[in-house]
Amino acid sequence: MKRCGIACVVLLLAAAVVGAQSQSHDALPDWSGVWQMNGGTVFDRATAKGEGGALSRGVREQPPYNAEWEAIYQRNLKLRDENRLPDPINTCGTPAGFPRLMNVPDTYEFVVRPEQTWILTENGPNVMRIYTDGRPHPAPEDRWPTYTGDSVGHWEGDTLVFDTVSTRMSHYPESGDTVLDRTGLVLSDAAHIVTRLRKVNDDTLEARMVIEDAKALTAPWNVIKTYRKLPKGTRVYDYACAENNRNPVDAATGKTLILGPDGKPLGNGK
Amino acid sequence: MRSIEPSIVRAARHVIVGVVVTSTLLTSSPPLVAHHAGTMFNEDETKQLVGTIKEFQFTNPHSWIQVLVQTTPGAPPQEWSIEWGSPNQLSRQGVRPATFAFGTKVTMRVHPMRDGSPAGSFIAAKFDDGKTVGRWE
Repeated sequence: MKRCGIACVVLLLAAAVVGAQSQSHDALPDWSGVWQMNGGTVFDRATAKGEGGALSRGVREQPPYNAEWEAIYQRNLKLRDENRLPDPINTCGTPAGFPRLMNVPDTYEFVVRPEQTWILTENGPNVMRIYTDGRPHPAPEDRWPTYTGDSVGHWEGDTLVFDTVSTRMSHYPESGDTVLDRTGLVLSDAAHIVTRLRKVNDDTLEARMVIEDAKALTAPWNVIKTYRKLPKGTRVYDYACAENNRNPVDAATGKTLILGPDGKPLGNGK
Repeated sequence: MRSIEPSIVRAARHVIVGVVVTSTLLTSSPPLVAHHAGTMFNEDETKQLVGTIKEFQFTNPHSWIQVLVQTTPGAPPQEWSIEWGSPNQLSRQGVRPATFAFGTKVTMRVHPMRDGSPAGSFIAAKFDDGKTVGRWE
């Protein structure tokens, strides 16, 4: 065995440090394939009350809101029941954002590389980027609210742990902000979400989210979403919301319309 | 880790899938109504319509089935707009553009619009030959 001089040791140590910033390819789990969220698009199914889905009258969830933000949610629930809660998805052209993109129909793909992971949703479509190259979040003065926020993470064995800030939900429904689900769940600009994403078994991916929000929540909010693997060979297609959107939002009334075949609204939008 | 399937099992699987797709397109996935325009349709009411297919808009964000429904004898048929899901997802359940071909006679079950407009959200359809799509039972 050749003797390794000091220079060699230094080089090896440097390589180890650089390597530690990103997981090596060999250590990454296999999240290949096409996945689909289990259950409907109610975000927190563990606390959901009422019958039906996010759009069903009377259905709501129980995030640990403080009084101020519970009042905002009550307002949104009432608007939802009156068909006056505009869904950003209906306006066609803004991303679902995070965490909503963890809660959409159609398929998911997870692209995993040492320095970054991408979550691709067919619905939208949406792209989520999680940097795992060791970079921190930008300083607060270098950040602003975006739909998908800023996410940085690291691997703990087979689990991707990532931290998301700078999301854009606090002024919904004004200002083109997004929402968590169609019951009208929102968070403030102080929202801070830590997600643990791992493959539980060959057919199941699980996202455990701990949502903290100093302005809106009295306690951490725990939400678990799971995704099942679709059969091998499943195709994913493009998705253009503007292809044939017959559910535009009436700017005057805030109601979601249904357009007839002639392009004119049906009924009175109630 | 790849699983190794005996070729006979693979062949049987293809036959079963083929039979399922051609005979009954029963969807067993989560309810598609969960993400529709939603509150304007009365989820507590089911309406049955008999008519013929005018058009199947196999598009995003929603597919739409246009059905000509004979309501009053002698009067022109009424055109109903039936909202369904994304073709991305429907296609993975065996639905194709040809599933609702122009001129086909069909019985539709829908959640109608609350205000009585000729529109509803799709529950199921049944054709003259007995084949069904969606949650007929």
